[in-house]
Amino acid sequence: MGLLFVESLPGPKVFKCGRCKVDSASHDAIISKDFHGRYGRAYLFKSVVNITLGPDEDRHLITGLHTVNDIYCSCCQQILGWRYEKAYEESQKYKEGKYILEKARMSKEGW
Amino acid sequence: MGGLEDDEPPAKRVKASSAELRSLLSTSSSLLHIGYLGVPMAKPLPFHGEQDMIGSKGVIKRAEFVRIITKTLYSLGYEKSGAILEEESGISLHSSVVNLFRKQVLDGNWDGSLETLHKIGLADENLLKYSSFLILEQKYFELLETNGFMDALKTLRCEITPLGINKKRVHELASCIVSPSHHVLLRFANLGTETSNPRLKLLEELQKLLPPTVMIPERRLEHLVEQALGLQRESCYFHNSLDSSLSLYADHNCGKDQLPSHTAQVLQEHHDEVWFLQFSNHGKYLASSSNDKSAIIWEVHEDGGLSLKHKLIGHQKAVLMIAWSPDDNELLTCGMEEVVRRWDVHSGECLQVYEKTGLGLISCGWFPDGKRLFCGVTDKSICIWDLDGKEIDSWNGLRTSMTSDVSITKDGRHIINTCKGNVIMLLDREMKMEKLVEEEQPITSFTLSGDDNFLLVNLINQEIHLWCIKDDPRLITRYKGHRRSRFLIRSCFGGIQQAFIASGSEDSQVYIWHRGSGDLVEALPGHSGAVNCVSWNPSNPHMLASASDDHTIRVWGLSKKVDLKPTSEGHSNGVVAHRQCNGHSK
Repeated sequence: MGLLFVESLPGPKVFKCGRCKVDSASHDAIISKDFHGRYGRAYLFKSVVNITLGPDEDRHLITGLHTVNDIYCSCCQQILGWRYEKAYEESQKYKEGKYILEKARMSKEGW
Repeated sequence: MGGLEDDEPPAKRVKASSAELRSLLSTSSSLLHIGYLGVPMAKPLPFHGEQDMIGSKGVIKRAEFVRIITKTLYSLGYEKSGAILEEESGISLHSSVVNLFRKQVLDGNWDGSLETLHKIGLADENLLKYSSFLILEQKYFELLETNGFMDALKTLRCEITPLGINKKRVHELASCIVSPSHHVLLRFANLGTETSNPRLKLLEELQKLLPPTVMIPERRLEHLVEQALGLQRESCYFHNSLDSSLSLYADHNCGKDQLPSHTAQVLQEHHDEVWFLQFSNHGKYLASSSNDKSAIIWEVHEDGGLSLKHKLIGHQKAVLMIAWSPDDNELLTCGMEEVVRRWDVHSGECLQVYEKTGLGLISCGWFPDGKRLFCGVTDKSICIWDLDGKEIDSWNGLRTSMTSDVSITKDGRHIINTCKGNVIMLLDREMKMEKLVEEEQPITSFTLSGDDNFLLVNLINQEIHLWCIKDDPRLITRYKGHRRSRFLIRSCFGGIQQAFIASGSEDSQVYIWHRGSGDLVEALPGHSGAVNCVSWNPSNPHMLASASDDHTIRVWGLSKKVDLKPTSEGHSNGVVAHRQCNGHSK
């Protein structure tokens, strides 16, 4: 693949892709730690870096029907979580445009 | 041609009527009205001075139009034609008063000419005085030459001085009586060579002073035509052709065919993804660098074809970028977090290796004097070396991000680099000031325009922004349409007067925008992998090169000159071809 453009986060606490160790999200960007993904615990982030988006998919999650995009590490292509494109219940709208990163897929730096 | 019988072949009919046309036009001088069927109709009566305004918009005055044409005929040397036109149209180039004036000046009838000058009726008092001064000055000089000292003195005292202008000159003239040598100096200093007729020269000077309604300025028609051509060129949307191709026969309008949009050549010497390429400053070479750890110098031939000149081997890592020396004799290549090498373009030899122990280099560039170079280092500093490898300086705290682009303006005054994800800093080395280009999204790369006044900034969100950095930085235009989600994709300025923006894209196409309007003009398919970098030949507005993940370089040119070399061209599918298909970005 071409010359990858890799963003780096200032830190000090940063979540990195478990496989290739590029920065994915900053600890400061956590909105909630109370989520569950495919592989266990997951966190909701307001912004992430070095991610590519998959296509829109409608999924029934614990909290209801949502349109989501899977997110992949732009460097190693490992699937890291997903992004909420659309929520169909009012109470879930706050998640739109936010990102889920699975704890099992991340490694931590800075603590 | 409707309404005619089908049994007669149309081609034959057309030929006949054009022959008829030719013979008619050569014998007759008035316009023929050629009707719909190609048969000459009744001739309309020629009009002489019937209508004062001509042209479809009624803004051109007949008299002015004819006089300008007459003037042009005379100045082109067609004296007879000019005279005939004056006679036939009944519109003389100069009014009779002016003709008299001209004759009097050329004959040396000074008093008469002064009288006529008053009759011409100049609105401006000062203008009258200046013109009179010039005439009297000539009278004075001629009197001196014919040794009429007393008359000359009289002229100076009674005619020139009372005008009350240009006192300095009057004193100079007075000194001429006293010292003849001074006279010679003064006289011929103004004239230049002795051979030119001084009276004719005087007339030319007067012509410049007098208003254009009295005497038409020289080359007026040429000026009007040049103005029209200039406007046509400016409003030509796809303008990308040389001025020599401007014609008077039809309004200039470049079509898209003036943009390089056909693959003229596919260069396949690299063994891996090609990440960077750039034409030399004089456009005679192209240099490319690749993940295959090499860089290649290509030669651009007269016929527009490129051939391999040197393969530069030596790096142990992928070669990230290349920098041409200001005189194009040397080249810098930068290995990925490795070393920088300096090469001689003509021999292909590596002249010097620059490295920082324990650290890697990620970008390189030349100072405008060609004697020093700078490199971006992995520890976010910028290091400066002289050609021999001696470290001259190191700037820290200038870059807070790993994004490697660092540029320097041609006058050496401004250093431009990405200092935070969203910010580009323009450091003025002389004034020790900095200006900032602040974006809302992270910046992936940037390019300086040829005149150093504009910055083309590539953003992470698939937009390219054009900033003017001449005074306070301001955003001018946004360019959208290409795809970028993972890689470093570069864009460039190009075309005549850099009127176009080109960029690579992750969808394997080369994108071209109209710089002024921001409109997407072309998306060129052909590559079968992401296009990482593009470069437009600075000395050939019809040549564009692109570097791709498909291991090839494509050279794009105009469709008429498609010169497909017998290299095997892959199918142009223009479809996303990620190695690991992970869907498209939103």
